Amino acid sequence: MLLNLFRLSLRNIRHRGLRSWLTVIGILIGTAAVVALISIGQGLQRSVAQQVERIVGYNTILVSSRGLNLGQRIRLDIEAIRAIPGVQNAIAVRTETAYVEGPGGKGFLAVLGYDRAMEEFVAEMNLTVSEGRALGGKGEVLLGSRTARALGAQLGDEVTIEGRRFTVVGTLEAKRAGGFATGGLTLTDLLVIPLGELRELFPGPELVQYAVVRLVDRADMAEVRDQIRNHLRAVGERNASLTDFEDLTRNIQSVISGVQAFLAGIAGIALLVGGVGVMNTMYTAVLERTREIGILKAVGAKDVHVLLLFLFESGLMGLAGGALGMVIGFSVAWVATAIVSRVFQAQGAFSPVLSMGLVLGALFFSFIVGAIAGLLPAYRASRLPPVEALRYE
Amino acid sequence: MTAPLVELQGVTKIYRLGEVEVPALRGVDLRVELQDFLALMGPSGSGKSTLLHILGLLDRPTSGQVLWEGQDITHLNGWRLAELRGSRIGFVFQMFNLVSNLTAVENVELPLVFLGVPPRERRKRAEEALVRLGLGDRLRHRPNQLSGGQQQRVALARALVTDPALLIADEPTGNLDTTTGREILTLFSELNHQGRTVVLATHDPEAAEVAKVRMRLRDGLIVEVF
Repeated sequence: MLLNLFRLSLRNIRHRGLRSWLTVIGILIGTAAVVALISIGQGLQRSVAQQVERIVGYNTILVSSRGLNLGQRIRLDIEAIRAIPGVQNAIAVRTETAYVEGPGGKGFLAVLGYDRAMEEFVAEMNLTVSEGRALGGKGEVLLGSRTARALGAQLGDEVTIEGRRFTVVGTLEAKRAGGFATGGLTLTDLLVIPLGELRELFPGPELVQYAVVRLVDRADMAEVRDQIRNHLRAVGERNASLTDFEDLTRNIQSVISGVQAFLAGIAGIALLVGGVGVMNTMYTAVLERTREIGILKAVGAKDVHVLLLFLFESGLMGLAGGALGMVIGFSVAWVATAIVSRVFQAQGAFSPVLSMGLVLGALFFSFIVGAIAGLLPAYRASRLPPVEALRYE
Repeated sequence: MTAPLVELQGVTKIYRLGEVEVPALRGVDLRVELQDFLALMGPSGSGKSTLLHILGLLDRPTSGQVLWEGQDITHLNGWRLAELRGSRIGFVFQMFNLVSNLTAVENVELPLVFLGVPPRERRKRAEEALVRLGLGDRLRHRPNQLSGGQQQRVALARALVTDPALLIADEPTGNLDTTTGREILTLFSELNHQGRTVVLATHDPEAAEVAKVRMRLRDGLIVEVF
């Protein structure tokens, strides 16, 4: 019985041809927009999780000034932090602005203190040397490619930093934007000297952009955090905050979620408009088929049969729009992220995620939108008195 | 004495058109016995169709009683009325009233769908009904691929497929040429001979000739029985 009504509905939809398609397109656009935005959002979240893990790692605490403001420097003693039980290793990223003279130029430039421990932390800090070799010992400097040009310096040349002589042993080419790891500076614009020498050039309290602390496996994160806070208090630093991987991911993802919900909400309006389209089509269909409703009732159809007939029709159109919209939405998301990744050469190019929940949700929701939009027209159809329906021209 | 198949007692029907009340039936008493063949005659507006609709349980009277096999069904709910309609009554209309999206055999199957007859049996019974009316080679045709006479025979097959007690026809020949109309009327006559109760409305005196009893309506009242 239900199956037969269903088949009759299907046939009626096909019979309306173009109009059915137009109605379906209304739902399709809405669903496509919602699916595209959500799948991009989910892809972005997954990508953020991966990026954060790659840069800082799970078992890691970031010590920085409040609000992750890397321009603001904080006071800490990295050796003391390394000594905290449960800490496997720790680095402090410290840059200073220094007066630099080279063979062909001079000026105030950013100098980064290089700590061997950095290499095991951060992919970006693994200073890949494009020319020459890595830092070996005292009196050696690596130049960012742009810095090298500005100073007119080449391999083997000498540059003077704050009056001290350094030999250029290599130049750095930025493979990718260093951003986070170098405290907002690009590798190409830096000079890199051993941290010890940076300390000698700039004595006084150790002020760093940030520190990254790696814990041993199964260390007590809360305990280590307390210890670090104690240390910061001891050195008089009140403006620092601790962020671990989970905090960071959670913060970024909650922002993405918020934006995503907002955009999906706007896209949802399109779906709503699609629903109004379905309603319009169904009202027209009820009018057009008034006589047919009369016939069905004359041959024994009950109100509920007529109701179901029309509900199936609107629900099916909703479902069709949902299914097609999902395919199109996901394709659009896929193409869009591919283009964005290509254009911005974003690191760790991300792809949209079409989760099972999204698939089922989109199908269910579009069916429900269709069915609800059909509810009033279908109800009206089911309540038509048979005689009046038959008399309708 | 067994109760009549349908009995109307003092049935009135008043339509409201805005503020105006239009009486279509003004107190009709009518007994339709099993195996009757009744023709309702009268000009348009005399109340023929309204009477047919009330007999066929498509409409409710404004006042008066409707008895089906002796039982008062005037206030039966819509669900039960639909059941009675679907299982005991067959309709044939002037406009054929076939569902244009469906093939002949699917149209004939419709009443069985709502009775919950399983698909295989449904298809078999629908095909048999069409074959009996000489449409064995038109099963998969759609209404717009059939002539008027063929459409009316499909409609007749649809009315008969449930083996109803009562066959109701509203101007069944009104949209047919004389020859085809006569063929349809002959079919009605044969059906009645086979024991089917038939009530038809017509304003064609020739059509009314096939009936056993004729009733003339005027202004919502039965004014003559002959």
